[in-house]
Order: sequence, then structure tokens, then C-alpha cells
Amino acid sequence: MEKSHESNAGAGRKVFFRRKKTCPLSGNNAPKIDYKDVKLLSRFISERGKILPSRITSVSHKKQRVLASAIKRARNIALLPFVTK
Amino acid sequence: MPLYESTFITRQDMSRQDITKLADSFIAIIEQGGGKVVKNEYWGLRNFAYRINKSRKGHYTMLAIDAPTAAIKEMERNIGINEDILRSLTVRVETIEEGPSVMMQQARSREEGYGADTDIVTEAEERVEAAAN
Repeated sequence: MEKSHESNAGAGRKVFFRRKKTCPLSGNNAPKIDYKDVKLLSRFISERGKILPSRITSVSHKKQRVLASAIKRARNIALLPFVTK
Repeated sequence: MPLYESTFITRQDMSRQDITKLADSFIAIIEQGGGKVVKNEYWGLRNFAYRINKSRKGHYTMLAIDAPTAAIKEMERNIGINEDILRSLTVRVETIEEGPSVMMQQARSREEGYGADTDIVTEAEERVEAAAN
């Protein structure tokens, strides 16, 4: 099994092999993005309060746009911070 | 008629009755304008993520509204005038979800003394049971 993975990754550098992650906000069972859902949104912001890039969270491009606007709405009504130092 | 969700934050030192009265006055405005309020939720006294007008806490109220634009505009104008309201957010939504929103569920689990994690556990158990059937 592992050998086939290595050949898929190319160059045989198994250190850099990464499983392909799927979007946590797409699919049938995915949670709905809502500006009121602080617990869900706080998973996608950094400790400083910045929105995490989708290359780290593996959110799909479409959902990332929805997510960003939801986070910005939550910031407006002080549910999420703009910055935390 | 378009659907809206309007959340407003009132000052920390307001009593529950005053907030209900305030919400009722907005509901009256909406109804005069030919709309109706589908949901009226009081989220309780919450901590802010940052300070607003030097205060750290506030009472959150959310109204889910089905009303024409003119009525919403009139309500927003009144929200702007009112000095007890620190902040407000009105957004248009495609659908108004059934039952209480996430905030109300969280507030309830806090009151009952359960952590939010217990909810997830029971949810997972339900799913396992459903799968078994």
C-alpha cells in the first residue's frame, strides 16, 4: 500500500506525502454556515482573530467565500473579535 | 415578501422587561408596515469579543422578520435613533430556519449545566442508532 502511495506522490519523497483532505463544510452532513454559530466559525479563525486561508483549513473555494462573509458579520455584532493581542 | 434577520444589542444595565418592551415596539412597527415577525429570540447577556462604547457586555435580541422593505427601513431608522441600542445587524436570508437558532441551543445547554460537548455525543449516538435500524 505505502509503496503505491509513494509512486503517486512522485519523486518518492514520502515525507511530503499528504492525504487529500476534503472540505469540512461541503457534503450532505456538513454544518450550515451561519453568522450566529460562533463555535463553528471560531474553528476557521486564527488565535489572532484572522480568517484562516483555505489552503490550511481545506475549505472549498465556494464555501470559503460564504464563510468569510459569515465571520465578518459575526465580527460586526461582537460575537467574534477583529483582533486579539 | 423578503425574509430578514435583525439582531440588536442593548445596553448591559437594561432590565429584561425594558428589552421586551423595546422588541415589542419594533414588532409593532413591522406589523404596521404590513409584515410579520416569525421569531423573537432573546439570547441573553453575552460578553463582547471587543469593547463597544466602553462596555464589555450586552443583551442580544434577534427578530426573524417577513416584511416589505419599507417596514424594515422604518425599523432600522428607529434602531438608529434609540440610544439604548449599541449595535445592530439586519441581514436578508433565503430561509428562516425552523425552531430556535444555534444561540438558543447553546444558551439552553449552558443553563442546564451541560457542556456543549454532551450535545455532540448524544447526536452521534442517535446517528449510530439510526444506522443500526
